[in-house]
Amino acid sequence: MDHFTRRDAFKIGAGGIGAVAVGGMLGSRPAQAAIPIADVAPLKQPIEAGATLRVIRPTKFVDPDETVWNENTAKFQKETGVAVRTDFVGWEDIRAQVAVAARTGAGPDVVAGWANDPHLYTDKILDMTELATYLGKKYGGWGPLPQIYGKKFGTENWVSIPMGCGGGAMVYRKSWVNAAGYATMPDDLTKFLDLCRKLKAAGHPPGFALGNAVGDGNGTATWLLWAHGAAAVDEQNKVIINSKETIAALKYGAELYKTFIPGTLSWLDPSNNKAFIAEEISLTQNGVSIYFAAKNDPKTKHIADDIEHSRMPGAIDGRAPESANTLNAMVFKHTKYPNAAKEYLRFMMEAPQYDVWLTQCLGYWAHPLLAFDQSDCWKQDPKIIAYRDAQKMTYWDGYKGPIGAAAASVSAEYVLVQMLASVCAGQNTPEDAAKEAERRLTRIYRRS
Amino acid sequence: MTDTTIDPAAVTESEGPQLLSWDSRARRIVTIYVPLVCFLIVLLFPFYWMAITAFKPNSELLNYKDNNPFWISAPTLDNIRKLLFETDYLHWLATTMGIAFGSTFLSLFASVLAAYAIQRLRFRGSDYVGLAIYAAYLVPPSILFIPLAQVVFQLGLYDTPFALVLTYPTFLVPFCTWLLIGYFKSIPYELEECALIDGASRLQILRRITLPLAVPGLISAGIFAFTLSWNEFIYALAFISSTEKKTVPVAILTELVQGDVYQWGSLMAGALLGSLPVAIFYMFFVEYYVSSLTGAVKE
Repeated sequence: MDHFTRRDAFKIGAGGIGAVAVGGMLGSRPAQAAIPIADVAPLKQPIEAGATLRVIRPTKFVDPDETVWNENTAKFQKETGVAVRTDFVGWEDIRAQVAVAARTGAGPDVVAGWANDPHLYTDKILDMTELATYLGKKYGGWGPLPQIYGKKFGTENWVSIPMGCGGGAMVYRKSWVNAAGYATMPDDLTKFLDLCRKLKAAGHPPGFALGNAVGDGNGTATWLLWAHGAAAVDEQNKVIINSKETIAALKYGAELYKTFIPGTLSWLDPSNNKAFIAEEISLTQNGVSIYFAAKNDPKTKHIADDIEHSRMPGAIDGRAPESANTLNAMVFKHTKYPNAAKEYLRFMMEAPQYDVWLTQCLGYWAHPLLAFDQSDCWKQDPKIIAYRDAQKMTYWDGYKGPIGAAAASVSAEYVLVQMLASVCAGQNTPEDAAKEAERRLTRIYRRS
Repeated sequence: MTDTTIDPAAVTESEGPQLLSWDSRARRIVTIYVPLVCFLIVLLFPFYWMAITAFKPNSELLNYKDNNPFWISAPTLDNIRKLLFETDYLHWLATTMGIAFGSTFLSLFASVLAAYAIQRLRFRGSDYVGLAIYAAYLVPPSILFIPLAQVVFQLGLYDTPFALVLTYPTFLVPFCTWLLIGYFKSIPYELEECALIDGASRLQILRRITLPLAVPGLISAGIFAFTLSWNEFIYALAFISSTEKKTVPVAILTELVQGDVYQWGSLMAGALLGSLPVAIFYMFFVEYYVSSLTGAVKE
């Protein structure tokens, strides 16, 4: 393995494409860490004459997410002459645009969508095995989660290029947790429940979303299920939610709920951010956004100083019970310029571009390629280190079954979080809630 | 001629509201004013909340312990400044306005012709055609947007405002036609018969007799069409991908919601400014609007 330096930036790029312009661009960019890269033969993807590309991706997490992406795109355009236009779409809205593109066979050439999206359109998108293999060899291999989301389920064929993983770690107030008698966040579920009870008694209750929240609500439910060894379906998509593990998870959830701040049953994605910044809660599960929102406002800087992050408790055999929101890029077969589209993705994933994007995204995205563990991104602030390993998670949306439309429907219909919420609210016994979830899951998996 | 004196007390009494024997002030308060106040609170509170949120700094928005949630302690224009000068809001507003006017005009034109034909020409099956047009309105856009997208792409209209100007009538025309059928029904047929006897053609009757009498109905249908176009989301999301060509409802979500961080102040400022054109539209035409709903033309 070599080490990537500024000088090496001149050597990178298929056919030496990047040789000229990179130097100039680097002058205005932050210095980069030494990313270990292997010497891999460049891909042969001759760009079609007169190629132009349209790209859509979800809207920015933070401003540099968009500005550095656009800078990298402009750099690609300058070096290759391929005009690329990127449009940013609301997080919840990108799926409608992808559906239109897939059905009509027109529209964007490249879609950097969400984790499940490529798996819904495998017959309409290009095989990415060659590019993924090249990137994997060059940058230390792909993390487990990008491999799950990048490959067609059960095969070694890549259908997409995972570009970033947005983790959901435990966010907590260190001083309050310390005052409750815990030096660090316990991984053991019994101790964690004890901690939450003590925090509640001290007037600093925890809060986890139990409403129809796409990210946080589903995240709460899956965390508790996975931490108890439960799953919605097995490897063949047979519904197995009505199990003793699920019932144990629901009983634990009901006990935990007693320690929560009131109102979590109606919480949506922004609710825990608001409650944490308002100092109403002591801990929750979230992306890095709470930390940076607190850090960037002088009035809440003291909160940021007291924030710590950790893995969610309840790891089984060392597997943290978390997944990560993955930015997953695919190229539609309807593109007139498949090589240009693949070349664009390759360019965006190469260290001179990717590392700048990663670093300036401040930990909102974690790298899918393991060589970027060495990125400056993870050295600039030790508090965000928990988000670095999002790509090492081994659970996915629809675990343990194949990734597909049914798994997406389960999330969209909030089956799992509603099961948990009904028990927490006292509307259902754990047994009845599991039975009801089984009925709903069976219907969803039967129609898909 | 005799002089008469007027008792001021008697005048005051006669000018006041006439209370019936079973009526009383207390009864009126309970049956009219209290429900009215409740109704107004329910109706206006979201607008009040939207307005105060637009002028609140973030610290007040997030901390209800130290701040009164129903009032602003330190009002700020930051949210509006961010909206107007850090986004393409004015451009989105102009685009949305153009699309709403274009689709409203097209829809009204088509609906007038359709409603007149169905209501007045009385061809065989016209009743069923009216019913079928209304049934078309019930088809949800979330089912139609993918087939419509294919048409939009084939016509080369994807990512242009015309994609919306031409697709919004798919739900506006059925609605306006159904509304105008009802309104045309309230215009006495005898007026048209007189015109027919005087030798007017059908188009002349439509232009010179029916349409002038149907102005309140047209305005009512126009207001509905404009509002529906203004607020439409799914087609605007699916058929427009360039940021600068987006309509207000789609664009403010794209620009002001970053993951799980919602720029509530600017979002509410966007909603507030976005609702002003519709409110102004209503304000100018409210009398026509009300008269169309209550049946303006009396026989």
